[in-house]
Amino acid sequence: MSERERRGGRKPGALPGILAVVAMAAAITLPVVLLSVGGGVSSHEIARLQASGYQIVVSGPGTAGIDLAHQRVGQIAAIPSVGAVSPTLTRPLDLRGPGGRWVPLLAEGIIPSAYYATLGSTASQVFSAPPNLGDPTDMIHYQNGSYAGPVSPDVLVNTTLAQADHLTVGDSVTLAPAANGSGAVTYTVTGTFNVVASLFSTSGNYGIYLPLSNLQVLTGLARTGPGPGGLLDAADSIHVGLTGTASTSPTQIARVVAALHALLPYYGVSTLSQEASQLEGAASILNGFYLVLSSVGLAIGFVFLTLVLVRRVEAERREIGIRRALGLPSRSIAATIVARAVLLGGAGALLGVASGIGTVTVLARVGSAPVQAASRLAVFSPVQLIALGVGALALAGVASAFAVRRALRLPLPEALR
Amino acid sequence: MTSGAVIELAGVTKVYGGAGPAGVRALRGINLRFRPGQYVSIEGPSGCGKTTLLNLLGLIDTPTEGEVRWDGVNVADGSERERARFRLRSIGFVFQRFYLLPTLTVRENVELPLRPLLRGRAERRARAVELLESVGLSARAGFYPSQLSGGEEQRVAIARALVNSPALLLADEPTGELDSDNAGKVLDLLEALHRERQTTLIVVTHNPEVARRARRHLTLRDGRVESDVREGETT
Repeated sequence: MSERERRGGRKPGALPGILAVVAMAAAITLPVVLLSVGGGVSSHEIARLQASGYQIVVSGPGTAGIDLAHQRVGQIAAIPSVGAVSPTLTRPLDLRGPGGRWVPLLAEGIIPSAYYATLGSTASQVFSAPPNLGDPTDMIHYQNGSYAGPVSPDVLVNTTLAQADHLTVGDSVTLAPAANGSGAVTYTVTGTFNVVASLFSTSGNYGIYLPLSNLQVLTGLARTGPGPGGLLDAADSIHVGLTGTASTSPTQIARVVAALHALLPYYGVSTLSQEASQLEGAASILNGFYLVLSSVGLAIGFVFLTLVLVRRVEAERREIGIRRALGLPSRSIAATIVARAVLLGGAGALLGVASGIGTVTVLARVGSAPVQAASRLAVFSPVQLIALGVGALALAGVASAFAVRRALRLPLPEALR
Repeated sequence: MTSGAVIELAGVTKVYGGAGPAGVRALRGINLRFRPGQYVSIEGPSGCGKTTLLNLLGLIDTPTEGEVRWDGVNVADGSERERARFRLRSIGFVFQRFYLLPTLTVRENVELPLRPLLRGRAERRARAVELLESVGLSARAGFYPSQLSGGEEQRVAIARALVNSPALLLADEPTGELDSDNAGKVLDLLEALHRERQTTLIVVTHNPEVARRARRHLTLRDGRVESDVREGETT
């Protein structure tokens, strides 16, 4: 028998305890990452909706599902309480700048003055009033019927893209609906805009604005002619802003929605409050899903911690036996085990939270572009982090209960052998 | 603290491994009575039931049949909590392998049984130091068990066993791990403390020198009392 064994049994080294802390930390890291990034993206989207300015969205089926976009502006604007109407069309294009390389991007076709009128206070600061895209009403080019009349070949590019491709105001760029450059048209950069994280999604980094009619022509979604069959004039959606108090009145919003339904019976009409509500619902469902997913990791951490604690009781059976033989109360033996569990669980929780925050920070720097963008939106809610810590401690408490039960049920004569 | 109690084993049988034919009968119908302040040795070959008897006297184990009585009250049929409380207040243990807790200092080891009884840390410390002085180890109070010799460890264990002034001190082969020099010192100490405190002292031993110092000599064989000799009288 070794000297150590003679003096009180072989003790496990620090490794099992370290592994238990690491297991708990890994279990906590996952929900920290999922909840912070998921919650951040959801919050960002909801904030974006709330900051957008317009209150109602009309949408057609699929992409470019709305026809007669320019005409709809006047029809919808005639509805009482409607203050601004902006059809928009988003299409992928390729841009070739002075450097000669083709860059895939998203182009947003807008009617400059109508678009500006639907923006919220924050968004409106991004652009001049209205955005510098030639004819503010985008009607000269459109009214010609064949789109062959005076045109404003103007484009606004975001500052990130402008810097990457060394574009400045006055430069010529070529836009094409296909990567091979067929159907390309030369445009003039008339301005740049900053991509504000609270307003634009990650695609904002690859975005340009141009007149709606220009984009329709470029992508084959223009009105083909004044006669029958020439009804395309396509858009994806129409943003509708309300005037004054109507913008915050559920009754007034409902009234306008009803009028829009009557005017455009085949199109979807939704309000931002509905979208925000749906987004919040989706966010809470996702949070629940994240927690369920995380519970698998937590369960593994819990099992590992329990095994380590029980193993420790087995290794210390003689020491526990001595304490019990001396008549020390069960609660003092239990307190030692619970304290150890709380120490391991607490250390695991702290390490897990730190690891989660560190993981998100690293992802925000070295992940792929969408991962970086999403990670930068992460929100570390103190309430959630504290709840996770409390959860880890609760699991440690339950794990310690198994170990305590084991310790208090050790047959004393055997423990003292 | 319980002092001066008459301790009895009445019809005590202990069977390990169930009551069926596979069960091992470690003790068979033991009847013994210990007067307060007696110094008793228990001898016998390995496996005769000495340690089992000591465990039953110390309420570490419970009899399969029979009673362990203190002043006529059966104390063996209480709950584990009740028996632990009784051990804490009335019984001291000295083990062959000392069983000091390696993570505690000498003083903390001696203080250990006082923790549930005395709230004041200073009071506990003073009591522990007093006991360490009585075993000649107050200078080692801040040492850890690994820094002590075997004889010193056993003296610390004796101090721990006596710190609650128990009525009964049980020692299981207290010199089994010691050389003859240290064994003699430990036995002198046990004897002196027994005389000074009038504690009932029951020692399980194979060592004739240990047994020789006792006033009553019990010999067990096959779970039964083979002889019970006291002061020259045999029963």
